[in-house]
Amino acid sequence: MFWFIMAGMAAFAALAAIWPVLRSSPPSRDADPATSEPAFYTAQLDEIQRDVERGLLPQGEAASARAEAARRLISARSEAPKPALPPRARWRLAAAALIAVGVPVVALPLYAYLGRPQMPDEPLASRPPPSLASSNIEAAVAGVEAHLIAKPDDGKGWAVIAPVYMRLERYEDAARAYSEALRLLGEDGARRAAYGEALVAAAGGVVTDKAREAFMKALADEPGLPQARFYLALAAEQDGEKDDAIRDYESLIADASPDARWVDAVKKRLASLKGEPPPQADPEASAAAPEAQQAMIEGMVSRLANRLASNGGSVDEWERLIRAYTVLHEADKAKAALADARKALAPDQNAVASLDALAHDLGLGDAN
Amino acid sequence: MIVEIGHFALVLALCAALAQTIVPSLGARLGDPVLMGVGQSAALTQLALVTIAFAALVNAHLTSDFSVLNVAENSHSAVPTIYKISGIWGNHEGSMLLWLLILAIFGGLVALFGRSLPRALRANALAVQGLIGVAFLLFILLTSNPFERLDPAPFEGRDLNPVLQDPGLAVHPPMLYLGYVGFSIVYSFAAAALIEGRIDAAWARFVRPFALVAWSLLTLGIAAGSFWAYYTLGWGGFWFWDPVENASLMPWLAGTAFVHSVAVMEKRDALKVWTIFLAILAFSFSLLGTFLVRSGVLTSVHAFANDPRRGVFILAILAFFILGSFALFAWRAPVLKQGGLFAPVSREGALVLNNLLLTTACATVFFGTLYPLALEELTGEKITVGAPFFNATCGLLLLAAASVMPIGFSLAWKRGDLLGVIQRLTAAIAAGAVAAGAGAAWLRGGSIVAAIMAGVAIFVIVGSLIEVVVRAWRPGLAPGLALRRAFGLPLSFWGAALAHFGVGLTLLGLAGVGFGAETITTLHKGAPVEVGPYSVTLDSIGDRVGPNYRETVAAMTVRSGATVVAMIEPARRQFAARQMATTQAGLATIHFGQIYVSIADPTPDGDVPARLYWKPLVTLIWFGGATMALGGALSLADRRLRFGVAARARAGAVVAAAE
Amino acid sequence: MTRRSRRLVLIAVALAVIGAAGGIALYALRDNIVFFYSPSEVAEKAVEPGARLRVGGLVKAGSVVKSQDQNVAFVVTDGAHDLKVAYQGLLPDLFREGQGVVAEGVLAAPGELRAETILAKHDERYMPREVVDALKKQGRWQEGEASAK
Repeated sequence: MFWFIMAGMAAFAALAAIWPVLRSSPPSRDADPATSEPAFYTAQLDEIQRDVERGLLPQGEAASARAEAARRLISARSEAPKPALPPRARWRLAAAALIAVGVPVVALPLYAYLGRPQMPDEPLASRPPPSLASSNIEAAVAGVEAHLIAKPDDGKGWAVIAPVYMRLERYEDAARAYSEALRLLGEDGARRAAYGEALVAAAGGVVTDKAREAFMKALADEPGLPQARFYLALAAEQDGEKDDAIRDYESLIADASPDARWVDAVKKRLASLKGEPPPQADPEASAAAPEAQQAMIEGMVSRLANRLASNGGSVDEWERLIRAYTVLHEADKAKAALADARKALAPDQNAVASLDALAHDLGLGDAN
Repeated sequence: MIVEIGHFALVLALCAALAQTIVPSLGARLGDPVLMGVGQSAALTQLALVTIAFAALVNAHLTSDFSVLNVAENSHSAVPTIYKISGIWGNHEGSMLLWLLILAIFGGLVALFGRSLPRALRANALAVQGLIGVAFLLFILLTSNPFERLDPAPFEGRDLNPVLQDPGLAVHPPMLYLGYVGFSIVYSFAAAALIEGRIDAAWARFVRPFALVAWSLLTLGIAAGSFWAYYTLGWGGFWFWDPVENASLMPWLAGTAFVHSVAVMEKRDALKVWTIFLAILAFSFSLLGTFLVRSGVLTSVHAFANDPRRGVFILAILAFFILGSFALFAWRAPVLKQGGLFAPVSREGALVLNNLLLTTACATVFFGTLYPLALEELTGEKITVGAPFFNATCGLLLLAAASVMPIGFSLAWKRGDLLGVIQRLTAAIAAGAVAAGAGAAWLRGGSIVAAIMAGVAIFVIVGSLIEVVVRAWRPGLAPGLALRRAFGLPLSFWGAALAHFGVGLTLLGLAGVGFGAETITTLHKGAPVEVGPYSVTLDSIGDRVGPNYRETVAAMTVRSGATVVAMIEPARRQFAARQMATTQAGLATIHFGQIYVSIADPTPDGDVPARLYWKPLVTLIWFGGATMALGGALSLADRRLRFGVAARARAGAVVAAAE
Repeated sequence: MTRRSRRLVLIAVALAVIGAAGGIALYALRDNIVFFYSPSEVAEKAVEPGARLRVGGLVKAGSVVKSQDQNVAFVVTDGAHDLKVAYQGLLPDLFREGQGVVAEGVLAAPGELRAETILAKHDERYMPREVVDALKKQGRWQEGEASAK
């Protein structure tokens, strides 16, 4: 059916374009209105006459204008129109054939290359309405989003959707949702910390000033909140204040209840910071205690890396990845990412310059 | 399937445009009227196909078909219908398709109404028009395809930016594009005339209506954009000499020059080569404008870092059409027959001066806009050429052009009587001088630019009126007869007089800015604040909830002395979903001036930081623009100009014989 | 007048207008060019007080101080160097701490700009291009940081 319509359209286009050729089987010699120039001056003379009759043009001016138009009329007439070549049917046939063959030959392959012929329309009305019960999480999110557009002041709605955004890796949306929830539902240490975490995730694992502020605020509200303390320690580490970071991590471990699931992650972090081999964690415990935060960051980074490797990305995204590896103390991977980024962005001088600057800043060695 | 049909129609349109380019130019070479006729049929075919494609995109937007990438990125199911439609051209891909549609419409108009034209000229012009179409179709299909699909389709679109959800921005781009693209016809005909090596008054007569349509719409488009900036940006500015604005001003200046020089060509068969040059210039600037708006020409290669193909493609199109046409011009212009002669003091002479001033003004804008970009490209130094530069160069030149305008308008063709004209305009000159003097006295010691501008404005306004009176009335003529004579004046004359009157109005509005007042303060409830001759009092602060925003509204009363003149409600709008705030200025129009108040977030103790302006005569700026456009439309309505049909209507027998 | 002398008159007038315009343009250009610098460049180039400039960077978090009559003071930073900015008037809607900003004005003292115009980024996705470039040079630019709230 679809290809039937396509063929019809192509045929229509070709026929419509060569219509004059089809219509004019006997090569008629229509008079060429190239003689319209004399006609134009004749009209101008009439116009002058009319203006005079209406009294819009004084006689004197009219006479000179008339003289000039007449002079030009004569010169235009004396220019004999070029004798037209006798039209040749061969050329017409060639043109018609060119169009008739050319249209499908150009259009079909080009469309096959660009188009998605098998893909149907999907107007919103014809699609199943997204429902919360649906197993499709995206549909559920769309439902909540629609609700929030209608009622942007529903703080609970924002609070519900924020962690979902987090799981969907829509970190910026998550940060926005958390901040809306905080604004509408009031201050809450845990939520403030979650907001900070979203900011960190959005920045590719870097604890930005804004995130740091959020964690501080969370701690002020709920002192001892481990999540916030962990990220503040991480911030110190990223700022190069190693001693502070070590102290913070240690105090965090000291304060933790021994069965807390995240302690191992912190210990590992601490060890790598001190340059020690990672602690031989009790294999049972480590299996039972996923290294929540660390794993989250690493997961994020690896997803970003995969995406950039398969789909490419902007210079900012590449830089985010390189930075993230540096933060995770994975210098080799950072260097590899830098090399990949250089390759991927090579045609863009600015991007390469920016990468060089970054490499220099991070001490990854200069170009090549 | 509708989406794919639209996509396929766009591909077929490329074929039609190719046919429109190749066959008629072949026909023109061979002198075969049938092959030349393919130009028309191919142009109409292209128009039909592009219309199908555009309709398919409209349908996708209206039905929120998020399987189309363009819809998913720029629409949302909850957006009101009008913004679903304006969202089509609120983005790069859709706006390019709109551009193409307008191009095809103009091509179709030539095909339909160009019957009285010499065949070869029409064939060549349609071929050039087809070539522009080919370039844009390739650009759209290969780098900016609005029919790209998403599979699986997302459930919701990313929404149109709230800043773009404004009626002003819904109409501004299409009008601007109609203006830009209208000059493509002028360009195509100029190129065709160069190819043929001949150009005559009939050419001028046919091209002029297109130029007038383009010019009028461009004027309206610029005025609409300026008004939008005025009421949304919150500080009462209406023109910023921003590259994007300059991009629309340059084709306008070149187009204004063209509209005038083509009149000389039509009436006096002079200035042929120059007119051709302006035709090329106007469209070259339109192309530049199209791409500057969306990307920035010199930065385009960087702006599209993710898709360098697009930037390179844009530069290639610009280079081909601009350099190509100028090369053609350099090669073929000497072949054109020289036109008639005229005395320096004559209507023609005055129009040459007008052209000179306008094109020089255009050159200064061009220089000021592109110099920083070029400098950055060459040296890496970043500079801004700000408003003072443009005011001192372009502004001054345009003021000069305006101040000789009434004199030129009153001079006779061929040989004018300068002394006589000045005598005729004595009243206007006197009125202008009085206005300037009064303005200077009022400003006392301040900048006298505003006073001079006011003087020129009054001179222009009174001068245009005098010209109408002089044409219709001679001493001793009964008023009734004079009125009849006035109605008998050609519409093109009325159009010109009205357009010049509009220039005077705009100038008066601009001059008014210099007489305004500005107060930055914090308003306390009940305490009046003076701004110009009025006082503004804050009455109350309240909250309101809109469809997708919440706003804080400050109700204020504007008083003159003790009498209440107006109530205004400036507001701050918070768009929660996007976390964006916008300022809604409170506007009260008093005579032709406006009180303009924009506010910041109220302080906790209920005070409102605010910026208050009194802008006398400011609305005249846009009224003037609209009047100019109306003047262009009136000229267009002149029977003699209607697509050459008129020539046949009046001199029916002659043309009928010729056909 | 002969054809030749008429043409001469025309050319003379044209040259006069273009010459005058060129002269004015160069004159205006000398006074009205404004350089764009990042705070680091202001520090490095030791820009003299009294110079007109545009400075772009991020509004330093916690640096915005509002006082009477809508006087505002804040610090523009590119990470490496800071520049104090004083301004009177309403700030743009999108002016926020930690966000990109361009301030145009006169350098009142070394390290202190008296701004006449403040431009903030246009929408969430947009940051003044000059600011992005300046920050990139400093290695401070991150998409996440710029668009996160």
